[in-house]
Amino acid sequence: MSGFDIFAIALVLLVIFTLYSGVKTVPQGFDWTVERFGKYTSTLSPGLNIIVPYFDRIGRKINMMEQVIDIPEQEVITKDNATVTVDGVAFYQVFDAAKASYEVSNLNQAIITLTMTNIRSVMGAMDLDQVLSHRDEINERLLRVVDAAVSPWGLKVNRIEIKDIVPPADLVEAMGRQMKAERVKRADILQAEGQRQSEILRAEGAKQSQILQAEGRRTSAFLDAEARERAAQAEAKATQMVSEAISQGDVAALNYFIADKYIKAFGQLAESPNQKVIMLPIEAMGMLGSLAGIGEIAKATFGESSASAVAAARRAGSVPSAGTPPVPPVPPRT
Amino acid sequence: MSDMFVTLGTWNWLIFGVLLMALELLAPGIFLFWLGLAALLVGLISFAFAPGWQLQILLFALFAIAAVPIWRRLARASAAPSRDNPFLNRRAAGLVGREFTLEKPIIDGNGTVRIDDTVWRVAGPDAPAGSRVRIVQADGAHLTVAAA
Repeated sequence: MSGFDIFAIALVLLVIFTLYSGVKTVPQGFDWTVERFGKYTSTLSPGLNIIVPYFDRIGRKINMMEQVIDIPEQEVITKDNATVTVDGVAFYQVFDAAKASYEVSNLNQAIITLTMTNIRSVMGAMDLDQVLSHRDEINERLLRVVDAAVSPWGLKVNRIEIKDIVPPADLVEAMGRQMKAERVKRADILQAEGQRQSEILRAEGAKQSQILQAEGRRTSAFLDAEARERAAQAEAKATQMVSEAISQGDVAALNYFIADKYIKAFGQLAESPNQKVIMLPIEAMGMLGSLAGIGEIAKATFGESSASAVAAARRAGSVPSAGTPPVPPVPPRT
Repeated sequence: MSDMFVTLGTWNWLIFGVLLMALELLAPGIFLFWLGLAALLVGLISFAFAPGWQLQILLFALFAIAAVPIWRRLARASAAPSRDNPFLNRRAAGLVGREFTLEKPIIDGNGTVRIDDTVWRVAGPDAPAGSRVRIVQADGAHLTVAAA
């Protein structure tokens, strides 16, 4: 084998290796940096690329897709000295492959450390209650701070989320008790308010009913008084009419009233079932004597013809409607 | 070994070329394809002139190298911009021309805009919060805006 033979074979091999080092296919989602003698010169975008063999070399292969990194768990002391355990996730995307390659070494570690320290400073400025209830605000503030900080590295942090905030167990228990006490308190207050309300309503009802009763009594008393007044007036008038009648007629008619009432009273006495012995005052016996007077009236009346009975009765001093005393008219209730 | 090279005839080059192209399909990296092309070309030439095997190998090397600029020209001519997703992995570039509302005012040339539930810092002429701005340029994650 001559030297030319070997040279020819070596040359083919050299060509093959040269082509291999000069032709680069960059997959979608990645950017490759090119270094000429170790110094960055350009960035290869996805697709087929050719670099100058022997001079250029591929430096870093940077993932240009959005990536998620876990922010590891860490303990944070809040403003009110509660120790909470916090972890999270961060989403970032490389926008400038060259900066991400050469401006920062160990990109992921840098982002994680930066985010962790910022979580501490943001949460350390808040109370535990705020930390637990203002997650959005924490995320927002973290995003702003970290995004600004990673800007020189050619990145953009799109999102930082706090995943878990775990307060210590005894604190959780105390919080649970506090919440329960709060609810119990509210329930008690509501119940007391209900009772108060119902008592007030009941008392008001009683008051109203008493007022109404009193008003009823007042009205009825008024009406009673009026009735009595009217009755007295009627009595007075009746008396007047009777006395007028008497003054015009026979005094004996007076006896008729007395006798009438007396007999009615006597009849009532007799009707009562437990009265076997009837005590009569002595004067009552005298009153019976007036019956004779009635007899005289009757004799005078019935002795005449029935047509002139009324006139005869009047002559004898009797009132026209014999047998019933004039009843005063009941005043109409107003 | 040398026998094999010596006996490299027309058919061997053609078979070699086809094999290389097949390998390219199995393990894509493009550069085997060129070697295959060069081998096929050498095979065709050896059909006509039947040069010595050393010359054939040198021709093969020459063609392989020459394929690069030729292919490059072809590739550039046929390189169509990706039609479906021109802004794949170039998110900022996709925002150029769109209008947004300033979330924080631009003071001393820097403000923020909220896009897709994240915050972008933008540079541009000073403007109060809430004013509309149009993104005119995107350089990495740096957006330049002008009043819309």
